[in-house]
Amino acid sequence: MSSRHPLVFHVLAECKISKARVSKMILPHGEVDTPVFMPVGTQGTLKGLLTEQLDNLGVQIMLANTYHLGIKPGVEILKKAGGLHKFMNWNCALLTDSGGFQMVSLLKLAVITEKGVQFRSLNASKSEIVLTPEHSIEIQNVIGADIIMQLDDVVKTTSSDDKRIEEAMYRTTRWLDRCMQSHKRVEDQNIFPIVQGTLNTKLRSLSAKAHMKRDVRGFAIGGLSGGESKDEFWKMVNLSTDILPKNKPRYLMGVGFAIDLVVCTALGVDMYDCVFPTRTARFGCALVMTGQLNLKQKMYKTDLTPIDKDCDCSTCKTYTRSYLHHIATIHTVSCHLLTVHNVAFQLRLMRNIRESIKENKFVEFVQSFMVDLHPNKDYPNWVIDALQAVGIQLK
Amino acid sequence: MKFIVESLTKNAPRLGALREIENRPNLVLETPMAMLYTRGGSIPHITNEVFKLLTQKSQIIQIPLVSTYNFEDVMSVYKGTIAEFVGMKECISCLTVQDPGDHTLPGYHVENSIPLWTRHGKVLISAKSYMNLVSLFKPDMYYLLSDGDTNISSPAKRIRKSVQNTIKYHKQCIDTHENLTGVKNSFMMGAIAGGYDLKARKECIDGICQNDSIGGYLIDGLHNNGPEVELLAADEINPVVVFVINNLQPTKLRAIHGCWNPVVILKLVQLGVDLFDTSYCYIVTERSCALTFTIDANGNDEKFELNLRQADFAEDFGPILPGCTCLACSKYSRAYIHYLVNVQELLGPVLLTIHNVHHYMRFFESIRQCIGNGTLSLLEEKVGNQFHSSKHVDQQDNVLASCERVDSADAFASAVLEMDRDNITASVSS
Repeated sequence: MSSRHPLVFHVLAECKISKARVSKMILPHGEVDTPVFMPVGTQGTLKGLLTEQLDNLGVQIMLANTYHLGIKPGVEILKKAGGLHKFMNWNCALLTDSGGFQMVSLLKLAVITEKGVQFRSLNASKSEIVLTPEHSIEIQNVIGADIIMQLDDVVKTTSSDDKRIEEAMYRTTRWLDRCMQSHKRVEDQNIFPIVQGTLNTKLRSLSAKAHMKRDVRGFAIGGLSGGESKDEFWKMVNLSTDILPKNKPRYLMGVGFAIDLVVCTALGVDMYDCVFPTRTARFGCALVMTGQLNLKQKMYKTDLTPIDKDCDCSTCKTYTRSYLHHIATIHTVSCHLLTVHNVAFQLRLMRNIRESIKENKFVEFVQSFMVDLHPNKDYPNWVIDALQAVGIQLK
Repeated sequence: MKFIVESLTKNAPRLGALREIENRPNLVLETPMAMLYTRGGSIPHITNEVFKLLTQKSQIIQIPLVSTYNFEDVMSVYKGTIAEFVGMKECISCLTVQDPGDHTLPGYHVENSIPLWTRHGKVLISAKSYMNLVSLFKPDMYYLLSDGDTNISSPAKRIRKSVQNTIKYHKQCIDTHENLTGVKNSFMMGAIAGGYDLKARKECIDGICQNDSIGGYLIDGLHNNGPEVELLAADEINPVVVFVINNLQPTKLRAIHGCWNPVVILKLVQLGVDLFDTSYCYIVTERSCALTFTIDANGNDEKFELNLRQADFAEDFGPILPGCTCLACSKYSRAYIHYLVNVQELLGPVLLTIHNVHHYMRFFESIRQCIGNGTLSLLEEKVGNQFHSSKHVDQQDNVLASCERVDSADAFASAVLEMDRDNITASVSS
């Protein structure tokens, strides 16, 4: 790996109709095939799974959360451990967020100024922490992920305060510069700017264009998936991918429902993360191509089939729906089994997407995926519109 | 399945093996051994995928009916065995009535049935309904129904009743066994009740038919299960165990269940007990502890057990136990596990169980080796010294922490709801 290029991005194939593409992203801790779904290991562990199990699943990159890791185990211990990779026994790629997203989820506890974000810790000590762009990068430098995120000024996606949205958009760019300035590991960590501007077309374009002027190797599309309508959501994604350069990866933050992954890939997105697949597992739900099964339901009590007969994960190879029904939400083993399956589901979906693009059959893939999900062809309007915008007609 | 013992001794340590197991002609399970304790059919925190990373050797899984009772409906339509249903087809299964890892509520007896305290409330099990479950579960081994609801302070009346019930259930089960298809070849084990009253024990032994179809005996009725068993001392149970073993045919397998501490386990092995379980690993894991007691007669003086929740381990990047070859020790550090248990991540107990069960299995390997070369007393002395010297405040705290746990499964269920601290980023789509 050349010391100047901790991220090499090769576009291997493009859909001839839509903006979908298949690429290889080469990072210090390994190669990642995109479009990729990154499972979320918030606290430096993927919800009960050993890293050996992640290897078995074929996970190439996972996400960890700077806010949580900064509080516990804390920077000093991570430093002494030699970074998160060593601490958690994970040798493949990692991505960390900036901690900024907690501004939205914990807004009542946070005050945002030009200096940074002031949090009150959720733990027993209730200590006050100011997260500045510099501090976020300092923590992320210690964690040592292959891709790190700038601290951004997040506004609620559904906010109607244009003045605040504009302020946050410009501030995000100012904070990007501060982040890049304080970034100490440019040779082995990539900083991604975050395109902001919520649902405002003009501001989002300005944000994307401003960030493209910086020397960065990939971009995140932020400020979405926060309760806005799907009509507004896809238009903002489409706008962002229209502007962002084709030779760099685009990461859509916080998106992970199967239908969203298919549509947004058609819109040209390369990377995704979402807690949903692992979270829903802990509540006894298994993902399948036609939606999800709530295994607690009585109908599965004597169902002796696997969750998905076409799935080759260790859970589907070994366990029946009936067994999972009996232990779901009672024994931790059920969480582990469903987490394995749900991560395998996400990875299989992305693998199928990549293969169809490579074989120049992406349009057919999208059409058949949508029919499986909506056998009566009552497709949501936003899906029809979004796909139409990139030339895909549903059958 | 047959139990073959090397020497027909009574109150002495002995080596033996379970052989000629149906469909597994080459498998030999050496005793003394510990069956793998399960809840709801799974080793707590361990999926089949992780189990294969824990050990490649064939094992017996212990299936307590109390946590699998609700499988009845599905097992009546499922064609396979209970081991296959719970995803552990590489293991031999053994059905037990009560759960050694969980306190069994005393009392509530009615005529002809014993109370089973399941997650869904009290279920009364008669010999007939029990044998019906046995025929549905098709275990490789099973215990006959017994009334083991006695402990060191049980009154004479309860002891007498438990013996009468156990004799009655024993006969009823055996009569049914003859007429059951599918479990004819199961290894059947009887239970000896009678609390701490030797006369009652004798009465029970005399009352049950000691015939060839019974492969072994459980010395039941010593305790009411759960973490408190760890606190029982060898001296207290010694006279009963000696007496019962002296009155059983020496060719039969002898089992005692419960989360005994390793010092008591060694004493029981010295008295000639062959079969135990790993519920001790479970209660140790649940209190965030790792077993580090010596398993080698020439071993070093490590601490008996480490409480990884303690701040001392926050920056300790070494393995739980230097030299241990388990996955947790070879790839993960004390500091990481300390962190995981402190932020209540599910991986913490997974790693602790991997180590604790691995360590416990090595302990039994060592026990067999020591019996073979006559050094068992040395090991007993070593472990005993270590146990008593570490009986400081820490260890007491650890043990008390275990006893305070009411029902870890319920604790888990509510923890699931609380532990989600990651950001919800997904809005529910249509």
